[in-house]
Amino acid sequence: MKHKFILLAILTIVLVGVACTAAPTPAPTAAPPTAAPKPTDAPKPTEAPKPTQAPQPTAAAKPTDAPKPTEAPKPTVAPTQPPAARSGGVLRIAQNATDLNNLDPHYATTTQDRSIVDMVFNALVRYKPGDGSVFEPDLATELPEPKIVGGKQEWTFNLRKGAMCQPTDGVPAYELTSEDVVYSLTKSANKDRSAYAGDYTGMTFEAVNPSTVKITLDNPISKNLFYPRVSNYSGGFIVCKKAAEKLGADKMKTMPVGTGPFMFKSYTAQDKIVLVANDSYFRGKPQLDGVEVRFMADLTSRELGLRGGQLDVINGAPDKAWVDKMKPVQNVQVDVFGVGEVATMYFNLNIPPMDKLPVRQAIAYALSRDEFLAFVGPTIGENVYSVVPAKFLAGGLTEQEAKAKGLDFTTDLAKAKKLLADAGYPNGFNLKLVTSEMTGYKVLYESLQAQLAKIGIKADVQVIDHTSFHNTIRQDANALVVYIAWRPNADAYLTRFLHSDSIIITGKKPDTNFVHYNKIDKLIDQARVELDATKQVDLWKQAQIQVLEDMVAFPIQYQNQVYARAKTVDYGHDLKSVLALYPGVDEKTKFVK
Amino acid sequence: MAWLIHASGIKVEMSMQAPSVKFVSQRRRMWNTFLRNRVAVLGLWLVIAVVLLAIGAPWIAAKDPLIQDPKNRLSAPGIEYLLGQDTFGRDIFARLLYAAHISLVVGLCSVLLGGTLGVTLGLIAGYSGGKIENLIMRLVDVLMAFPSLLLGITVLAVLGSGIEKMILAIGIMLSPAFARVVHGNTLSLKEREFVEAARCIGARQVRILRIHILPNILGDILVLGSLWTASAIRIEANLSFIGLGISPPTPTWGNMIREGSVHLLNAPWLSVFPGLAILVTVLAFNLLGDGLRDVFDPRLQL
Amino acid sequence: MARYIIQRLLSSIPVFLAVLTIIFLVVRVLPGDPATAALGDYASKSAVEALRTKMGLDKPLPIQYLDFMLALARGDLGKSMIRGTPIINEVLQVLPYTLELTFAGILIGVLLGIPLGVYAAVKRNQLADYVGRIISLAGLSVPAFYLGILLMLLFAIALQWLPAVGGGEIGDPVDNLTHLVLPALTLGLVMTASVARLARSAMLNVLSQDYVRTARGKGLAETAVILGHALRSALIPIVSLIGIWAISLIGDSVTTEVIFARPGLGKMMVGAILQRDYTALQSIMVIYTGFVVIINLSADLIYGVVDPRIRH
Repeated sequence: MKHKFILLAILTIVLVGVACTAAPTPAPTAAPPTAAPKPTDAPKPTEAPKPTQAPQPTAAAKPTDAPKPTEAPKPTVAPTQPPAARSGGVLRIAQNATDLNNLDPHYATTTQDRSIVDMVFNALVRYKPGDGSVFEPDLATELPEPKIVGGKQEWTFNLRKGAMCQPTDGVPAYELTSEDVVYSLTKSANKDRSAYAGDYTGMTFEAVNPSTVKITLDNPISKNLFYPRVSNYSGGFIVCKKAAEKLGADKMKTMPVGTGPFMFKSYTAQDKIVLVANDSYFRGKPQLDGVEVRFMADLTSRELGLRGGQLDVINGAPDKAWVDKMKPVQNVQVDVFGVGEVATMYFNLNIPPMDKLPVRQAIAYALSRDEFLAFVGPTIGENVYSVVPAKFLAGGLTEQEAKAKGLDFTTDLAKAKKLLADAGYPNGFNLKLVTSEMTGYKVLYESLQAQLAKIGIKADVQVIDHTSFHNTIRQDANALVVYIAWRPNADAYLTRFLHSDSIIITGKKPDTNFVHYNKIDKLIDQARVELDATKQVDLWKQAQIQVLEDMVAFPIQYQNQVYARAKTVDYGHDLKSVLALYPGVDEKTKFVK
Repeated sequence: MAWLIHASGIKVEMSMQAPSVKFVSQRRRMWNTFLRNRVAVLGLWLVIAVVLLAIGAPWIAAKDPLIQDPKNRLSAPGIEYLLGQDTFGRDIFARLLYAAHISLVVGLCSVLLGGTLGVTLGLIAGYSGGKIENLIMRLVDVLMAFPSLLLGITVLAVLGSGIEKMILAIGIMLSPAFARVVHGNTLSLKEREFVEAARCIGARQVRILRIHILPNILGDILVLGSLWTASAIRIEANLSFIGLGISPPTPTWGNMIREGSVHLLNAPWLSVFPGLAILVTVLAFNLLGDGLRDVFDPRLQL
Repeated sequence: MARYIIQRLLSSIPVFLAVLTIIFLVVRVLPGDPATAALGDYASKSAVEALRTKMGLDKPLPIQYLDFMLALARGDLGKSMIRGTPIINEVLQVLPYTLELTFAGILIGVLLGIPLGVYAAVKRNQLADYVGRIISLAGLSVPAFYLGILLMLLFAIALQWLPAVGGGEIGDPVDNLTHLVLPALTLGLVMTASVARLARSAMLNVLSQDYVRTARGKGLAETAVILGHALRSALIPIVSLIGIWAISLIGDSVTTEVIFARPGLGKMMVGAILQRDYTALQSIMVIYTGFVVIINLSADLIYGVVDPRIRH
């Protein structure tokens, strides 16, 4: 009897102990990365190089194009009275994600990863903040023009002075040179160290002198295909050689070290990453003290966090109902901006009866773009008529152009039924589809299901998790694949979705050609090396007309990005059209009263 | 419902074991006990009502639960659409009724599956002891070691979504809990005088389990079963939350709540009505479960 | 008793191994692989293939299994396949959040549930009983994520008393506690219903038993009978279930953790399975299973303590 009570007592103590340790034990583990470093981490190592901010004027003095004037005042303010320049505060952003995936910029593919990488790294050139249609120099001093030397194309970049690599354990801050740039681009081109290696085949990188980099291309390409490859998107981000070598591939996944306005402080798995201001940033001291990016996969939770004041910027939903709901909320500003991701439905020709043109046409006539759009809302998205969105990229077909060719496939149920009957399916047929659990996909698939039912096609839709979905559709699972994606140019869209090299499973470089289509290879290849922009656009359009004539892809809509922020947040630039699908945060972003 | 079936099944067994005049009077007395408990009777009526609504959905609902109406998303309740329209403009009233069907089937079948599996394992383990007990209870531990949502995600990711798969997933999730409770109760009953007495006069194991132990733990099983019917409905909602519920466009209360929770502030009718439906159903089953528990508890008769 | 504990611990080892083996196989049966999950939809197939090789996914299954088991035997929980961070660090970071949430949830559930259940049993079939049951059932029929949203709307948005989302800094008790209240309440309220129902049932059971009647017959005051004699016996089934609840709370608090954006073990597990982070999932399961074994063991021990009739 006695030791039973003793046992009971011990258990109580253990339970109480567990409860208590819940608070104190973490102190040693959690405190160091979060609380302690605050005062020491950010300023100290960077304070020293500050004098070298002298180069800033040189950067500012170089102004060669439009955007510079707006920037000019900042650097002049910064050196004279740095403390007054900072408005302070930590910007708390919530992204729609469970966690980050990889912060090595050459592996960062998801929106949450890109948004973080963008704050830490720079590239040779960049998309103008808030406006993805304009390029401006970033680490380079100006946008170069190509030269043809011996049949090869050469691009020469002069690097700006004073771009400092952020310090990381054991590696003090140092000035970025052409050695880093060549190291970084070579890494991007290496398929074992980058997800974007394909973009850099046939390119060689050379450090001419510490501040000059020469890139040579075996096959010349046009400017609008070249700049994206050295821009602040995907493989173009420049990593610091010493930091990369010191950290190694594994650590780089969660510890980004670059030259940008913010630098890494701490990371908690599936919770958040904390960045602090990089006071020696070459465009001047950031206005914010730091940025926290939280991973919050639930929309309601993000919304309530913004309303409750625990968050400053959240990723919203591409749904007019949501936007309308948030607009009247006090102190909240909703931003709807491009670029829009394009939803297109691809027919898998390997799965009967999709091999029959009349069946595909019947489905195209049965579908209503307006009906799909109603679930998104006309202010959030817009119908599209070609695989490449004409609204954002050169080479897309507008509604008028599609109509002129009779390829707009305006909804016509009678015609659809007749086509289906003529093809031998007067009563329709059954279809098995899988969809991702992500709302954006599920809504489109559910709408598709209801629309197909109108012509007797019964679709059994299975919901699977997003990872399974990506895997499954790449294995010929879906007769109809609705895919939502942004690609930076017409070439990428067409190559990856409709070039025979990209055919799933069997292609040379299997990618996302769900159709098993091979009729426009020539046009794509020709357009890629066409240096005359008008001719290039013509080729792209021709390719897409062919696609519509064969009806292997039914372009549905583009969906703009929807973000909401506290009214006190000022990004420091307008959100006209952001290539990267998130509002950029940089040295000018600040809180206003 | 399941518990009625389950209970009557056991009654039949008992009648085979003890076909005497005494049983008839016992059955009558049980029925009377039940009828005297007005709340339990109310529970029974509510359950019958929910079941009838679920079965009668095609005749009661004027609208098709699957027809989408993109122009009228999130419309408020009105005369034409009694409970309003959802994110796809579908009739919430019709969906609620059709969902009753699915949710009841999922709730009841998974508890029945998990209960049968768990009770059997628990009884055998608790009574037989020794190696068999050890083996069964370790198996239960293994099952228990899987967080139920993880188990659900795994089953649904491997097999795909669907009602049967959902029942299988939830049934497996619930069975170890049943087994543990039954095991514990059996352990303590085993040592009681009347069981020892039965053993002494040489009653067979199966008979002891059936006559002396099962009826004594039935009350607890019923309470747990009625409780876990609610859990099953909730688990389905939670799986919907992760995005892996029952395939669209089939409505369930769980996925209706999930879809509606996003619009809680601008269109509360989307999630409030299915929420109430779950509440009423859970309440009904629990009241009924309590009533049955009293009926099966011989000590409460006095 | 000591022998029993050792025996019980030893018998947990096969459980451990079985669970790990099942987990190992299960994650590999799932469609979709970590490399695809890590690179998202932009990366091309060749990039995915390169990453697969790097992650060691091209090795045959038995080798992967052996690697995993050998590493475990060395006490090495490995690194996350996706993030490359040591898993033990990640778990230690979130563990306090999980423990405090589980403990607070159970505490609320027990503190509210047992008195409610006992009271309802004593006032059986009276108004108080019905009201109590309906209220507790309301808690049971609402999915945790929905209840969480409702609580946030009330306490964080309308009243602005508590923060809506986040886990708070562990080093800052006030910040930490204010962030704990709403999620703990969410889990606690759901649990209250279960506890109250069970307490009521168990209490009714006990109240009708001979020794309670004897105690009453001896002329003891009703309160003394209930609290002194009946409650102790009624606690038996409750205690055996608290273990189960604690376990299921750790695993199932994931929706609560997601809604409140709290770090936690449940969220981590589901995240690992969705990202197909095999090593992370395996290692988290090792730790989780460890908890399960400990909790089950304690429940069994307490069971033996409160119910003297059970001898092992």
